[in-house]
Amino acid sequence: MTEIIVVTSGKGGVGKTTTSASLSCGLARKGKKVAVIDFDIGLRNLDLIMGCERRVVYDFVNVIQGDCTLKQALIKDKRLETLHVLAASQTRDKDALTAEGVRRVLDELAAEGFDYIICDSPAGIEKGAHLAMYYADRAVVVVNPEVSSVRDSDRILGLLASKTERAEKGNGGVKEHLLLTRYSPRRVAAGEMLSVADVKEILGLDVIGVIPESTDVLTASNAGTPVILNEGSDVSEAYTDAVERLLGTELPLRFVDEPKKGFFARMFGG
Amino acid sequence: MPKSRHREGASRVDLRDLCCNPNHSCLTPSRSGTLAAPMNTTAAAVRTTALDIRYAQVGLLQLKLRSTDPGAILDELTGKVATVPQFFRQTAICLDLAELEGEPDASEMRGVIEAVRRCGMLVVGFAEGPTSTELARTMGLPVIAGFRPQNAAARAPAPATPAVAAAPVPQPLPALIHTQPVRSGQRLYARDRDLIVTASVGAAAEVMADGCVHIYGALRGRAMAGVRGDTGARVFTREFHAELVAVAGVFKVFEQLPAELAGQPVQALLAGEELRFARLDG
Repeated sequence: MTEIIVVTSGKGGVGKTTTSASLSCGLARKGKKVAVIDFDIGLRNLDLIMGCERRVVYDFVNVIQGDCTLKQALIKDKRLETLHVLAASQTRDKDALTAEGVRRVLDELAAEGFDYIICDSPAGIEKGAHLAMYYADRAVVVVNPEVSSVRDSDRILGLLASKTERAEKGNGGVKEHLLLTRYSPRRVAAGEMLSVADVKEILGLDVIGVIPESTDVLTASNAGTPVILNEGSDVSEAYTDAVERLLGTELPLRFVDEPKKGFFARMFGG
Repeated sequence: MPKSRHREGASRVDLRDLCCNPNHSCLTPSRSGTLAAPMNTTAAAVRTTALDIRYAQVGLLQLKLRSTDPGAILDELTGKVATVPQFFRQTAICLDLAELEGEPDASEMRGVIEAVRRCGMLVVGFAEGPTSTELARTMGLPVIAGFRPQNAAARAPAPATPAVAAAPVPQPLPALIHTQPVRSGQRLYARDRDLIVTASVGAAAEVMADGCVHIYGALRGRAMAGVRGDTGARVFTREFHAELVAVAGVFKVFEQLPAELAGQPVQALLAGEELRFARLDG
């Protein structure tokens, strides 16, 4: 059974594409057959983060319009055998997307035996974001621990609960998960940033993961390597945990507490 | 979106216009609660025809005019509408001309009606009065008398069932119960009844009721009770962080939450013209 997961947020720049890339890799690493689709028509970034921007021949809009087959447009990831990327068009805009077209592509991917289809949503609540979430079975709502991101995510949660096929047909609704990104335990302790508990209270949902703020994310996107593949980094571990929780394993949250300074660090600063 | 409109009398309005969630339970048309149709053979026979004529308890807003100056009307109405915009949008208005000096003519009236329309409201008739009958006829609008059951029976068109003359007291509707969090940007309106939310109301969300608004969670957005003028309505919340609270149109905006109310169980009620807030003890 193919599961369609939308990665959305409302607010821009919170880590949707970073998360889409890392979750897709994490799932593929576990042997799942995964397709990740960029719904940000006109402002495509997923191909850059995945490191396949020079291999885009056909894109999502080409497939919808019948200019090519799905197989021709899907880009196979060089690192993970079961991972495929469907890039967005850079020359068109969101009006090129249609609900029927999106449905056809998702159905075709399901027929090809994909276990997971990750839909990387654009920011906002317009057509691109709406179509990315419309056919979803599950949603990962990416939130920064910061007021405008939380407000926008609240809006998105409202839309997930009402303007999706599952909500409209009344067959279970979209399963919602929160992913907190750019989390800084030090700033939370200093009272400068919303804590995990604060976000849970305002949005009324449990988190599926907390990704710490890290310079590794920028480095990874520049290198075209999804940050989950950066072995040993906190961010990579946090995303790996998130993938496990997505698959049903319960794990305690890591990277949410300020690291305790050792004796020498406290004496000599650092 | 399904378009089944079930209109039982003029007081029932498609709540989809107000509530942004089209699947919301407040749209269920079956809980009517107004004049109950008796289960007799006449009613049964009527049910198979193309239409039904019933007497509805109509809640009609009256605009008592003291001037026919469209500019003044537009100014004042815009101000009033701004307080509860979604309540006033597309609302039916009855014009009361009793306090006007002299008889206005049709063109003056057209100016007034246009001004009212520009504020988003719709004039559907004139209140009964000395100057209204001729004018109403010229403008093609009805004269609307105050609703009294015996008058209704006297004017009842056939078939007049015995139940109409008896005009049973309309049963108060049970409260609308909403169990999901009300998310930012969502609006909820409980018409002719109380609203109960057993979760939180997010920032920039709006919950409204003709009766009381009960929030068994945090109130971070706007809550408006007694939206159609019930000054006895109240707002209750378990955790007060409201942006705006209103009762019968009298509202207060909270730029800063007073320390004694912030995060506490609080009720809001109207005392005269003033909105009062009090901790709910216990």
